[in-house]
Amino acid sequence: MSSTTRRSLFKAPLVVPAGAPLAGGAAAERPTLAQSRRTFLQASAGAAAGVAVVTTGPKLAAAALHGPSNTAPLSAIIKPSGPPPPETVMAYVRDAARGEVTVLSGMRETTYRDPELAKRLIDAGR
Amino acid sequence: MSSHREAPEISKDPVADNADTYAFVSPDSPSTVTIITNYVPLQAPPGGPNFFEFGDDVLYSIHIDNNGDALAEITYEFRFETILRDPDTFLYNTGPIASLDDPNWNKRQFYTLTRVKGNQRRVLGSGLACPPCNIGPRSTPDYPALGAAAVHALGGGIKVFAGQRNDPFFVDLGSIFDLGDLRPFQNLHLIPTAAAPGVDATKTLNIHSIAIQIPIGDLTANGSVPTDVMSASSVLGIWGAASRRKMRVVDAANDEKSESGPWIQVSRLGNPLFNEVLVPLGKKDRWNASQPVNDKDYAAGVAHPELGKLLPVLYPKVFPNLAALSSPRADLEAILLTGLPAGIVAGFQNSTGKVLADMLRLNVAVPPSGDPNPLGLIGGDAAGFPNGRRVSDDVVTIELRAIAGVTYPLVDKTYTPDAAAGLITQGITPSATRYQAAFPYVGDPYDGYDTPSS
Repeated sequence: MSSTTRRSLFKAPLVVPAGAPLAGGAAAERPTLAQSRRTFLQASAGAAAGVAVVTTGPKLAAAALHGPSNTAPLSAIIKPSGPPPPETVMAYVRDAARGEVTVLSGMRETTYRDPELAKRLIDAGR
Repeated sequence: MSSHREAPEISKDPVADNADTYAFVSPDSPSTVTIITNYVPLQAPPGGPNFFEFGDDVLYSIHIDNNGDALAEITYEFRFETILRDPDTFLYNTGPIASLDDPNWNKRQFYTLTRVKGNQRRVLGSGLACPPCNIGPRSTPDYPALGAAAVHALGGGIKVFAGQRNDPFFVDLGSIFDLGDLRPFQNLHLIPTAAAPGVDATKTLNIHSIAIQIPIGDLTANGSVPTDVMSASSVLGIWGAASRRKMRVVDAANDEKSESGPWIQVSRLGNPLFNEVLVPLGKKDRWNASQPVNDKDYAAGVAHPELGKLLPVLYPKVFPNLAALSSPRADLEAILLTGLPAGIVAGFQNSTGKVLADMLRLNVAVPPSGDPNPLGLIGGDAAGFPNGRRVSDDVVTIELRAIAGVTYPLVDKTYTPDAAAGLITQGITPSATRYQAAFPYVGDPYDGYDTPSS
């Protein structure tokens, strides 16, 4: 089992698989590069309350592009930080009171303490 | 039963349900140990069209502790992959399956075996074919040949098999779960019934076995082949486990299923019946997710087994000495959690030290028995349970007798077991076809056409 660590989410940009299928979606909607925390948050708007799954589905991609809290151009916030992981990145609010968000990527599980992010995820699921 | 559907969560997840684990010095190849872990229990043979198989999304592990710390020094990992030849038919097979690469066989399963030692991972074999399920005389007309073809020799003296078998575990489920109905004193039960013969509830049920035969020197701490029964280095701790990825998302809109995160253990099994009988219902799921090294958390259920308190209640005046026994059951703790130290049974020990851990403990210096006694050590046969576990050991009778007090004199010579304790029996004798004399030792599965038969 991988160890669980706690550190700032801002130090570890979240990424999505570049080659993941996008059933029914336009090629222009496919986020093929690493996503910043901001787009991660926007993508999570389509997920269940408290749980975020970063996928490349058209609905979520559209939410990322056109979500109400998207105040910056997508091109400005996409910053590739390395090769995309082969598997879907998933995240959930582990402890809302403590502001803990756990991110699962490949075999890694990392818990971040980020009350702002936890709150926004929860709000996004309401 | 041993561990078939023994905990609430795993009872809903049969492909990850580690129902039994066996470990014994191979009778026909005594320089090796055979380990078998069984999954997907209680298979009704006609169960098509989606016949039983391993989980592609499950990590199956066999763990070896060779230094008494109750942690795995060596692990054998099995990962499966299902390959569909033709997704446009509903059929498992479109004609007779005559070989493991027969084009008539539509839904096949293959696996990769990896040996893990510390940080070293070595793939021992990949693309290893499982046999099909035993469907019937039209589909699998020569099943023994298919089963034999699925025994893979990997080099280095290692053999492996993974696929459907007849469940080697025999038990009268209906009886034991009907308020502890025991033979031969059903008439003495608080709610008496007439005497009736034992019923082998798993006789014609199938299961999926993962079996591996490994040279002893591959498993011991120093690579030796021990010959001194009394040496600590002769004892291996062994258990099986199944794990799933931490998170799974089903995206129906995109027809996708995604998984992520580390492997999370969902099932394990060392000694038979441990989680089934000695761990309370509210803790069984947690036990399945925990590691043997932490089993001190469950030691109270061993020291004061609930069934040991129930027997005198269910059978008034039959177990008076057991009823008066209030001391912690150090005998059960030794058998199940530490192994038997030297000085308890003449010329035998299978202790792994002081760490309380549910593991099968196999003293590999004990040679195979030429005349195996299904009662194992309490039957005078040190090559059987609780020295490891052979496929034909009657572990239900052994553990029922032990809980009833038969083994308490091992730690207290002044204790006299109740006469009834040594008489408990399942009244079941497995048929000769249930087992094989050679690897993988578990018999061919029953086929769906002929089973059940009237």
